[in-house]
Amino acid sequence: MAGHTYRKGFEKALVEHLHRDGQLWGVAVDDDGVARLRPATTAFELGSTKLPLIPPKKILLPPREAMWHLPPDGAYREPEIQNDKTVLLGILPCDLYALWYLDRVFAEDSSYLKRRQKLVLVGTMCQPSEQCFCPPHASPPPFDLFLAEGCVWAGSSLGQSCLADLADHLDMSESRPLPAELTAGKSDAAPEDLERLFLESRHRPLWKNEAQRCLSCGACSAVCPTCYCYDVVDSAGLDGGVTRQREWDNCFFRNHALVAGGHNFRPDRAERLRFRFEHKYLGFGEMRGEQSCVGCGRCVSACPVDIDLSSLLNRLCGVIQ
Amino acid sequence: MTVDFMPLSAKIETIDRTVEDNHVFTFRLGRPLPVAPGQFIEVSLAGLGAFPVTACGMVSDTAIPSCIRRAGRVTEGLYQLRVGDTVGVRGPFGNGFPLEHFWGKDALLIAGGLGMAPLRGLLHALLERRDEAGEIVLLYGSREPETLLFRDELESFERQGLIRLDFTVDFVSEVPWTPGSFVCKVGMVNELLQGLRIDPTRTVAAVCGPPALYGCVLEELASLGIPPERIFATLERRMKCGVGECCHCVTGGTFICRQGPVFSLAELRNIEGAI
Repeated sequence: MAGHTYRKGFEKALVEHLHRDGQLWGVAVDDDGVARLRPATTAFELGSTKLPLIPPKKILLPPREAMWHLPPDGAYREPEIQNDKTVLLGILPCDLYALWYLDRVFAEDSSYLKRRQKLVLVGTMCQPSEQCFCPPHASPPPFDLFLAEGCVWAGSSLGQSCLADLADHLDMSESRPLPAELTAGKSDAAPEDLERLFLESRHRPLWKNEAQRCLSCGACSAVCPTCYCYDVVDSAGLDGGVTRQREWDNCFFRNHALVAGGHNFRPDRAERLRFRFEHKYLGFGEMRGEQSCVGCGRCVSACPVDIDLSSLLNRLCGVIQ
Repeated sequence: MTVDFMPLSAKIETIDRTVEDNHVFTFRLGRPLPVAPGQFIEVSLAGLGAFPVTACGMVSDTAIPSCIRRAGRVTEGLYQLRVGDTVGVRGPFGNGFPLEHFWGKDALLIAGGLGMAPLRGLLHALLERRDEAGEIVLLYGSREPETLLFRDELESFERQGLIRLDFTVDFVSEVPWTPGSFVCKVGMVNELLQGLRIDPTRTVAAVCGPPALYGCVLEELASLGIPPERIFATLERRMKCGVGECCHCVTGGTFICRQGPVFSLAELRNIEGAI
């Protein structure tokens, strides 16, 4: 993948160019100090991006979205999904890796795919924070365009045609390879025998001790870029029509594994904490063995009682006692 | 292939109310839906939600029989409906019982409570090709005689010599005993295994019941000499999506909805928290 140095004015020209394609979204820091991913104008500056509190998953998996609608005395109707392109500007590598994970989990999900096909990703290099702990990655994440160190790379045909249109702003005489590491690589890869260590830890006090503090508030999962579990909820309109929706759920909630009749398969907080750890570091189903945690550090920042999964990982592996 | 969550409309064709709070509904669809024994469907009531349930008998082209316990909000809503009313159906989901393992072998079916429903689907499949199956033994435990499901039918299968049948109940309320009243053992279903005459080398087992049943029965079957690859159980979990997305059913990292719900004991031993 060859990248080109860009000249002054390229970033602004790029944003304006992409604006013609669809709705721009970028991260803005509000007066309350919170960084939020939200609709942006062509005045958006690519260079100064931050990690938003709620990750880009909210675009592909809206907090609440229709699965079908049943009008009164009618037939089931498929959900309507907006047809316009959504351009995400200044997405950091950890969030791009998280989208790659979601892409594989929802590879067959029709609503996800419709939204994903309309998504344009413009990535930028991050400034690691004190709380992030990204693992090393073997290959680059998905993106249409990626900007770093005054250079731009195209990761899709859309990105390539975009650069062709903006060739005046690029120095085509030299090309640079994509940096080998897009993330800061601040933590090691999870150990290969994590599965065994995890299974053996079932009755270790570490889970219970840590979970004693847990408030089951679910903040960690809400801000996690690779937490995607959902509940299914119906809402009835005044006209008698019904919409079935899926909405963000949370594995820390007590009823997450409760079945009719009253049996709860994960009745206590220690089991629910261990369940979340399992998803972040070992994965479910066909994704087993692949770490879903991208080390963005949001969960650590959001947790009101300082629970830190990466520190649990270190204790589990005997790195720290 | 992409998945969506659009249900098919289905009419309630019959409701068999023989056992209180365990009615058998037959759903008639507009097109065939092949639900194999052990696979499940999501039955949906608009405005209330959906629940996962197996077929309790053979699915003949467009009709799905299903024994549904009145257990929660949505099933309570279903019990308010009448013949001719409409529900939504999605599916089928998951893997059913691997029938190929059963042909040419003896079948040992062990049901606890409502676990009889999916096993009846399997039983009917075996009886449909009775000559290709060996001996069929059904051990069935329930709370009390009144809650035994499909009792008349199962007794008739036994009378016809199609199956060997042993009932047991936790509590007996049919007392005082009068001539002609129902006679069965009292105790837990695993106690029926004691003194059971089977040839473990040519037996395939299928178990369905509440979580406590698996804890005591599955390994006991293995200790009788039935290979763990030929002992099957179907797991009940909270299944919302049915396709391995929503994560409610995940057990030991496994999507029970998509990778199960039927597993062999050999598989279950490697799924933490499954039994």
